[in-house]
Amino acid sequence: MPPLAIEVRGIRRVYSAKPAPVVALDRVDLHVAPGEFFGLLGPNGAGKTTLIKILTTLLLPSAGTARVFGFDVERDTKKIRRIMNMVAGGEQSGYGILTVREQLWMFTQFYGLAGGDGWRRVDELIEAVGLTEQRIQRVSTLSTGQRQKMNLARGLLNDPWILFLDEPTLGLDVSAARSLRELIVDWKRAVPGRTILLTTHYMAEADELCDRIAIVDHGRILAIGSPDELKRRVQRESIFRLELDHLDGGVATLVRLPGVVSASEAAGAIDAATRQTVVMNLVLEDDGVLGQVVGALARTGSEILGLRKSEPTLEDVFVELVGRGFAESDAEAAGKAG
Amino acid sequence: MAVSATSAPVPAPARFDFAKAEGNGIRDFLRTFAVAVRLGWQLEANWTDPLLFFIYSVAKPVSSALILVVMLEVIGGPSGRAFRPFVVVGSALWSFVVSGIAGLAFSILEDRERFRMLKYVYVSPSDFLTVLVGRGVARVGVGLAGAAITVAVGVVVLGVPFDLGSVNWPLFVTVFLLGLWSIVAVGLLMAGVVIQTRQESWSYPEAFAGALFLVAGAVFPLAVLPALVQVIGLLTPLSWWIAGIREALFPGGPGSIGGAGSVFAGAFGHAQPGPLEIVLALMATGAIATLGAVAVFRVSDRRAKQAGLYDRTTGS
Repeated sequence: MPPLAIEVRGIRRVYSAKPAPVVALDRVDLHVAPGEFFGLLGPNGAGKTTLIKILTTLLLPSAGTARVFGFDVERDTKKIRRIMNMVAGGEQSGYGILTVREQLWMFTQFYGLAGGDGWRRVDELIEAVGLTEQRIQRVSTLSTGQRQKMNLARGLLNDPWILFLDEPTLGLDVSAARSLRELIVDWKRAVPGRTILLTTHYMAEADELCDRIAIVDHGRILAIGSPDELKRRVQRESIFRLELDHLDGGVATLVRLPGVVSASEAAGAIDAATRQTVVMNLVLEDDGVLGQVVGALARTGSEILGLRKSEPTLEDVFVELVGRGFAESDAEAAGKAG
Repeated sequence: MAVSATSAPVPAPARFDFAKAEGNGIRDFLRTFAVAVRLGWQLEANWTDPLLFFIYSVAKPVSSALILVVMLEVIGGPSGRAFRPFVVVGSALWSFVVSGIAGLAFSILEDRERFRMLKYVYVSPSDFLTVLVGRGVARVGVGLAGAAITVAVGVVVLGVPFDLGSVNWPLFVTVFLLGLWSIVAVGLLMAGVVIQTRQESWSYPEAFAGALFLVAGAVFPLAVLPALVQVIGLLTPLSWWIAGIREALFPGGPGSIGGAGSVFAGAFGHAQPGPLEIVLALMATGAIATLGAVAVFRVSDRRAKQAGLYDRTTGS
């Protein structure tokens, strides 16, 4: 049985700062199995990037242990570096004077590929990420999206067992971000066992890509689970949005039914001029209560024009866990940085 | 609310060949060194702007030599002409020294501040020290071209008496290689320093080289300096390197180490060191410089990993 892709025990990381030290990670424990697409979700300053830096041997922990495929991040740095790679977003990195091919080939040499194998690998990846037309273009002339595709290609040169992605779509437009996400997913699916650790503060990105997510804030992991598991934590009842042609007796008719927690007319949803439809939010103890509601409406002669179940988002999960939204957390982090 | 540990991880079907985590020893070293030299050459020489390359690499040392020769002529008159080889060789070699010392440090600064690639190079399995030395050697190569052209200008334009047949080639090759090693060692020391420093780092290597310029006997003999400064000069491998190159190219010409009333003469009982003494002194001081540089670099590397400096740009 292979070791865990990531095994973190009691990791603590404190940065020296004035007027007081900053605790970036506070006794974090984390297990990620080979083959997982694992996400670290949290606002700026939550500690996500610090954890990636430790796991990629760029930074030492203040306390605790961390292993990547069984290799210790402090003692086995060379071994870890041969089986992993990393790509960070939101930065204009690259040797501008080199062409895309030259830069990527240079890294094949750093990763120990023989010259001919290196060029073949470079050309394969350039084609895979869609940079064929730019292959002999200087890095300095690439757009942000193209440069990030090149960085992804660099991150895949050594065919890593585990790929660390630190906000890879940060600063990209919608189309470029989608393209990059597709490339990442295709690469992972191509070989079972490939593992990805993604940090992001884009909720939808984490929801779309990750098998499991850890929600991080102030250096601590607040919850871990699949996106659905996390959402179920905050969805203790079933919530429906209901549109009717009319409702005799108002919402009180429904509230009296067993299993109905609450029913309220949705603000602004009613056509005030004609009152031809009624839109309401209905909170039920569980989905099974919906049958009774539909039966009761039929008895009153109301016609159901629309019915949609409301799903909670990861933002709802974050608010539930932290007590504030992402935007507020980012603003708080920016305030501290300033 | 803090949640430790995990929910159930997904099992993986893949098998991992842990041989991948092992390196290929000397082959990895050679491959890394070769590609680092190539990268350094492409970045430092910057052939896209030949004029800039020419000015930096050739015109600067040639101009320095010309200025010094003219000063010598004005002050010393015809009797100063005997010192022309001394001045030309010193000026040529010093531009080479600056290139070497700055090369490794600038590699750190450029990769961190300008290209933002330092962290990617650092977390690759290549040996970081090898990458840096390779980059530095490329810069030394550029400096070497400038030094050779400066000596040629000295011979052709300034009439420096140079006879290929009288060159002590064994001494030249030995001293040159030992000196190259020492320059890279001093460069590594500066690289260790600039890993830790911030905004002003770009000027540190040249400032440090400028300080060494005074004590290394590049353009005037150590004997004219106060005794304490002479001792510092004698402990510097660059002083012995320059003296050795001078002795190899112009045997019996004016030397920079000793002289009447010098610390060297007082300590060893003769005016100037012979070729063997120069080689031995260069080996000893070079070895000390190398050990010191590697120690400083290792400590700096560890501290940079503790403080998270490898990907921290400072806006310089």
